[in-house]
Amino acid sequence: MNIITKSMKQDTAQIDTLESRLHRHDVLVVGGGLTGLRAAMQAADAGLDVVVISKVNPLRSHSVAAQGGMNASLGNVKGEDGAEDSWEMHAYDTVKGSDYLADQDAVELMCREAPRSVIELEHLGTVWSRLENGKIAQRPFGGAGFPRTCYAADRTGHNALHTLFEQVVARKIPVYEEFFVTSLVTKTGRCLGLTAIDIKTGNIHGFSSKATLLATGGFGRIFSRSTNAIINTADGQALAMDAGVPLKDMEFVQFHPTTLYGTNILMSEGARGEGGILVNKNGERFMKRYAPNSLDLAPRDVVARSIEQEILEGRAYDQGYVHLDLTHLGRDRIMERLPGIRQIAMDFAGVDPIEKLVPIQPGQHYSMGGIDVDKNGSTMLKGLFAAGECSCISVHGANRLGGNSLLETVVFGRLTADRIIEEIHDDEQPEIEPVLASVKSMENKIETILLRDGGEKFFSIKTDLTQTMQKKFGIFRDNDTMEEGLSEIEKLKERFSNSCFINKELTYNQALIQFLELESMLKIAEVVAVGAIQRRESRGSHKRNDYPDRDDEKFLKHTIVNLKNGKPVISYKPVKLGKFEPKERVY
Amino acid sequence: MKFKIFRFKEGMGKPSYDNFEFEPPTGMTVLGALFHLQQKFDDSIAFHYSCRGAVCGACAMLINKVPRLACRTQLEPLINGELRIPMSPYKAIEETVKWDPEREILIEPLPHLPVKKDLIVDMDKFFDYYKVVEPVFKPGDPDPTLERLMDPEAIKELELYTNCILCAACFGACPVDSAKPDYLGPAALAKLYRFFIDPREGDNEFRLLSADEPSGWWDCEFHGNCKRVCPKQVPPLIAIAKAREKLNIIKNR
Repeated sequence: MNIITKSMKQDTAQIDTLESRLHRHDVLVVGGGLTGLRAAMQAADAGLDVVVISKVNPLRSHSVAAQGGMNASLGNVKGEDGAEDSWEMHAYDTVKGSDYLADQDAVELMCREAPRSVIELEHLGTVWSRLENGKIAQRPFGGAGFPRTCYAADRTGHNALHTLFEQVVARKIPVYEEFFVTSLVTKTGRCLGLTAIDIKTGNIHGFSSKATLLATGGFGRIFSRSTNAIINTADGQALAMDAGVPLKDMEFVQFHPTTLYGTNILMSEGARGEGGILVNKNGERFMKRYAPNSLDLAPRDVVARSIEQEILEGRAYDQGYVHLDLTHLGRDRIMERLPGIRQIAMDFAGVDPIEKLVPIQPGQHYSMGGIDVDKNGSTMLKGLFAAGECSCISVHGANRLGGNSLLETVVFGRLTADRIIEEIHDDEQPEIEPVLASVKSMENKIETILLRDGGEKFFSIKTDLTQTMQKKFGIFRDNDTMEEGLSEIEKLKERFSNSCFINKELTYNQALIQFLELESMLKIAEVVAVGAIQRRESRGSHKRNDYPDRDDEKFLKHTIVNLKNGKPVISYKPVKLGKFEPKERVY
Repeated sequence: MKFKIFRFKEGMGKPSYDNFEFEPPTGMTVLGALFHLQQKFDDSIAFHYSCRGAVCGACAMLINKVPRLACRTQLEPLINGELRIPMSPYKAIEETVKWDPEREILIEPLPHLPVKKDLIVDMDKFFDYYKVVEPVFKPGDPDPTLERLMDPEAIKELELYTNCILCAACFGACPVDSAKPDYLGPAALAKLYRFFIDPREGDNEFRLLSADEPSGWWDCEFHGNCKRVCPKQVPPLIAIAKAREKLNIIKNR
């Protein structure tokens, strides 16, 4: 142990000085996914000194895995009877899909900006799939009244992320790669920057900024069955909450109907958009019973529940899956429109969808809730902004429509950056001392963690947490099960406080990083739990057996969670309604 | 099943290999095995990871002497010899350590890039070569109000190259990169070709000419390792062959 402490000190003394680990920039963008990169471009184009801070190379961000597409009422494909799509129809579908919990002003903004945002990506070089007439192709998606989803085969996120990365490289925007943000620095109601650990060296760096934008993605990995990348560990939400910023609607967690059995890798909704159907073990197209009009293209919450019901009532295969049938689409269509998921099905389940049925089950997919922001992306803390999946603006309400999350990233990445540009125009660089102090206290924290010896290895706590969340806060919820889950989370937090790991090295200490991630995951799991228990109704993705109906009188409102003395405390705030009156959701 | 893992950290003169053994469950991938080793045996093993679904490109490494994505490589068929890829020989895949392919899985870092720790390599050189080809869209005309039109047929060829996930498996598999470290390598050239054939770029011969030198289009010896190891079936050697053909036409004009 002595040797290690000595080497830590040598490291700081010889290789670098504290000053070399202090950085001053106008804007810090935390996260290198679509939201972060789009925002960084916008800020750079306005002449600001902007940097991206990401725990992975930006191309490894989870945005890259998005498959199906991006919604925009381009109207390139007509609806039934030649009807024309419009942003208003897009907004209506989004609000209805959200079970009326979305803020309609934010939805209007997103849907109005959608066509421009898709075209903007095209102008930046994204290769979209095309119609015979050369225009951007669009396909039907769940819960949408028109074929509105623009796509690049089933690799839309990949194409878009690579395009934005190219733009960031061309602008020479610095990327602090493999920097894991450890805290936000705040003073008297203002965010002054952050601290981050350089994963490569183990050194703590301090960043001073006029504005900080969190674009860290969702928290899917708190569930054991998730389509999310392994890196989606609630980092941003926990950073914000620790800085005193409230989280919103965290109980609304989307379960995607079709994730590959075994690994829970996503099988795009585009598969059903192209005509794929779901069948149970009796070969029955069971969606007929649940959504007689929309069938397999009902919204995700509806389809996921239907599959879960089939599983519970014994009409699924014993291991807990049903089949996605694409065989009738034929080789050509699958090869052209769904080559990526075909490859995934072959690589990870040994099944070629051209010939065989694909075993699928619902799995966690998206975090509707997040950091509470207004429609400019501002949090209640001056200088701190959030956008994309880590935030809740709220355009998705209680259930997100497929194709709206990629849209959200580029629309609000750009608009939030615009807001930042406007706001910090005349700002001076804030004082650096608080950042310095935070670096020192973070160094102490990390040293204390590394000095921990004996006790449980934390990896098992992570496994237990994800299973608790899966079992107790899954597709169907009820009070008793969730209360059990909450007390399990509390016990896990207790276990975590006495847990450790062996590796004491500073360079690439992935055990340390995963330990810090788990700290965030536990905090956020508790917030999800508390919000879900308190919401005594069923709305969108939040389905309670003990309160099976939506209750607009009591719960047409956003859940707000603040941390008080380390405990999540719940309050509510009104939903911004608009022209679409809450109605029963029928599909 | 036995695992032989390459270990290295700064300050070590030369790398060592650690041996592990456990019975993996059906369907476990090399990435799954690395996590298992990290969690149950030695939490200091370092490797890059993210999506675990073969789309992000983070976890390319040398597995049984073939550059592959750890997340996409299943243990069972690997040990059964079903995933063998015939490779044109080069230095990095010569024997570095004794191993028994029928019983052991050998996991080493991606060749041709400096090792930072264990299975993590410094990707800077790979991305420097990517940047050299100026991988950014340069349209041939001012942006229209709506989208530029594209023939869906043209997209078929483009997609072959836009599918690249920049995992660097090809870079680690290229015998020329092994012998000539200045060679831009298959990924950067495939990226350059992707922009060259984008019909929206208009007259962009400058793209081809920008790599008209030995370390660009001309050093490739058509070993084909790049295409064979690509997890996304990108064919850099076809791009290179076509680029040369077009350059020859340009030069003979």
